[in-house]
Amino acid sequence: MAEYIHPEVLVSAQWVADHSNDPNVRIVESDEDVLLYEVGHVENAIKIDWQIDLQDQLIRDYIDKEKFEKLLSDKGISNDSTVVFYGDKSNWWACYAMWVFKLFGHENCLIMNGGRQKWIEEERPLTKDVPNFPKTDYKVSGTNDAIRAFRDDVVEHIGSGNPLIDVRSPKEFSGELLHMEAYPQEGALRGGHIPGADNVPWATAANEDGTFKSADELQSIYLEGKGLKEDDDIIAYCRIGERSSHTWFVLTYLLGFKDVKNYDGSWTEWGNLVKAPIEK
Amino acid sequence: MDMTKIEEIIEAFQEADYQETLAMLLDYSDSLPQLPEKYIEQRDAGFNRVPECETPVFVWIELNDGLVHIDADVPQESPTVRGFVSLLVDSFNGVTPEEVQSAPQNLVHNLGLDQKLGTRRMFGLSAVYNRIRSSVKEASGLQ
Repeated sequence: MAEYIHPEVLVSAQWVADHSNDPNVRIVESDEDVLLYEVGHVENAIKIDWQIDLQDQLIRDYIDKEKFEKLLSDKGISNDSTVVFYGDKSNWWACYAMWVFKLFGHENCLIMNGGRQKWIEEERPLTKDVPNFPKTDYKVSGTNDAIRAFRDDVVEHIGSGNPLIDVRSPKEFSGELLHMEAYPQEGALRGGHIPGADNVPWATAANEDGTFKSADELQSIYLEGKGLKEDDDIIAYCRIGERSSHTWFVLTYLLGFKDVKNYDGSWTEWGNLVKAPIEK
Repeated sequence: MDMTKIEEIIEAFQEADYQETLAMLLDYSDSLPQLPEKYIEQRDAGFNRVPECETPVFVWIELNDGLVHIDADVPQESPTVRGFVSLLVDSFNGVTPEEVQSAPQNLVHNLGLDQKLGTRRMFGLSAVYNRIRSSVKEASGLQ
């Protein structure tokens, strides 16, 4: 029976419950529904909203180094905090937040397997109390753009023989749908996929209860099924990079792939780009 | 002339900061009236759903003595959408169809929700609002 390559990065709800008062641990909730945290959250969890807190409010990009330092300092997260992320929708947004933290080089990041859904299913308590951690002096020592792909990286990637993984639904991949069913404002002028991309919908990696599939199942999907190898140079994308960060997490931490990038421009960029090649 | 209910609510939201906005939406989410027994079967069979919203939102519009009556259901796990739908119920229950028509076209924007909550979340909300407006128009025969 196979094991996850970095099993220590995935923790259970019980682990989080045991560590919620641990001063070296900071729990972060990141959701699609902006009100879920206010409805109730894990004790001592900090809210980090991917749209309001992590995005630049003017240009399409993440916040810069100074804003990231201020955000984490204000929230009481320090450089050596172990940050454990969880959220709704099978941890899509938790993985996205973790990916951003990794962009800024935060060392100790974990994901609570199953996210909010599992915590609630296990009938664990939620609180409305907002923690008040003392401010820290967070400093970004080095950023890690190696996990981020830009449009020009993708252009180079095409035809290089390196894998491109499209994690959207089959209908988005084929171009039958220009956008995920309920998000037309994230659509594009053209449908289809980046030439040479393989379709592995993100949800194939998750169970019904929001947890990640076993190592055996993941190997069967990505290694045997798609022929990926752990030293492949892989770029994953979706619509805006949130589902593909779920896949980035799976490939990097659970399957131990060494070189996985998230193309956050994703289809909302590529599908609107003049002269960008498309396959259906 | 007195402000309409929706105008009062818009004013309250425009004056609210981020945390206050969340608190008001959450209050609304908590106070959405329970769906009447008579609609539960229809809901479970998928009728009256607003398809453009990813969250399952179900809406029934009636006119009682010429006044609008709205019943709606939204899962507890989607408090943002549930809060907004509850706000619509609160704004338009018991008013005339004309009052519904006179409310701003781009309500989500007037409430400041797009600026405060992020634009990605707004499409489903606008779809629910538009659905209510068009159902009221249809029920009342207004042009």
